[in-house]
Amino acid sequence: MKGNLLYLIAFALIVIFVAEMIGFQMLPIGGFTIGLLPLVFAIIITMVLGLKIFRKGFWKKVYSEGNINFSSKYLIFIMLPLMARYGADVAPHIREILSIGWVFIIQELGNLGTVLIGLPIAIMLGLRREAIGATLGIGREGELAYISEKYTLESKEGRGVLSIYIIGTLFGAIFFSVFAPILMDLGIQVEALAMASGVGSGSMMSAASATLVATVPDMESTILAYASASQLLTSFLGTFTMVFLAAPLQQFMYKLMVRGEE
Amino acid sequence: MATGMNKYVKYGLVLLLSIGLILFTQEIKLLKNPESTPVTAMTLYGLVTLWAFSMIGIFVSDLMQHVRVKFIRDFPILGWVSLTSLVFCLASDFFVQAVSAVDFLSITTPILTFAGISVANRLVDLRKTSWKIAIVAIFVFTGTYVGSALLAQLGLFLAGN
Repeated sequence: MKGNLLYLIAFALIVIFVAEMIGFQMLPIGGFTIGLLPLVFAIIITMVLGLKIFRKGFWKKVYSEGNINFSSKYLIFIMLPLMARYGADVAPHIREILSIGWVFIIQELGNLGTVLIGLPIAIMLGLRREAIGATLGIGREGELAYISEKYTLESKEGRGVLSIYIIGTLFGAIFFSVFAPILMDLGIQVEALAMASGVGSGSMMSAASATLVATVPDMESTILAYASASQLLTSFLGTFTMVFLAAPLQQFMYKLMVRGEE
Repeated sequence: MATGMNKYVKYGLVLLLSIGLILFTQEIKLLKNPESTPVTAMTLYGLVTLWAFSMIGIFVSDLMQHVRVKFIRDFPILGWVSLTSLVFCLASDFFVQAVSAVDFLSITTPILTFAGISVANRLVDLRKTSWKIAIVAIFVFTGTYVGSALLAQLGLFLAGN
């Protein structure tokens, strides 16, 4: 077990080395530019090498059950220094952030976009009760807890939220890091995108703000300050937005859209 | 890890691994691009500061488990660490300077490396989801991000920024 952990650390060092050597890549696709950060390469390399078909011989020592469990159990602790860094980013900007505090609060309501945009699409695709679980939010721990308490995770609603949770865990960070610069191309201010990065998941928020930093390095301190302030606010207000706004709105829209079906 | 080891010692070691990887990443970044954030004595102070704030945040989070208000008990440990750090950084500018000497992007690569490894066993779960939910997922993620970005843009416009 101890020995295998050394394999894991050595493997992590190699992955980081390779990912950093590839470096930040800007890819123009059509009229847009997407940015690929070392963190995207790191997650892709580790995910692909972790596929069951590769897990033989030596790889089995790297991707041992113990090591995979270690990574998922302690991921949150590995993430803590990042969260500590965010405090230092917010501090110098605290006055500015408080002076436009209401903008931060207003943009929290944007999280209702999961219901407003996601639910009609889900209904159109023929999903019904799964759609409740799948569109309540981005399927992080808060929504998982709420749905499992209300419907249980074995229900259709539960399957919906679990699916979003899985997809988000696997692809959320990649999605946000690629998506953020596209909106910048569409003319949205980088400050607004930084605020929007506080979606409630640590790794997704880091990915979204990291691409913004890589794209506009001069604004690094503002981007990180806004993103972390918004993330903190989401951790405070997220549950309230979900229970008192997203859930009732979702019920209302759901009944309207599936009227006469049942 | 050895069982029976005090959990705080365990957390401390994992955090040590985390800041060690950050330092490694920042060195590699310098190797690739000598113009990037240099590793100085301040960087080392910064890493120690991040380690200390994380530990304090963990203690605070554990203490808060005794509070009767559910909302406070449920507040994530990640949030407590950010708040701890915010309080110290407001109190002294030294912390801000030390932490700023740690390159931000160098913090993110190690985390996503471990995130990738941690999901190794969950890739098979993808089979349990359908392509329909995958499409919905794209709109759900887009929805929250674009929704917030548009409202923020409107707010900033009204605020005159």
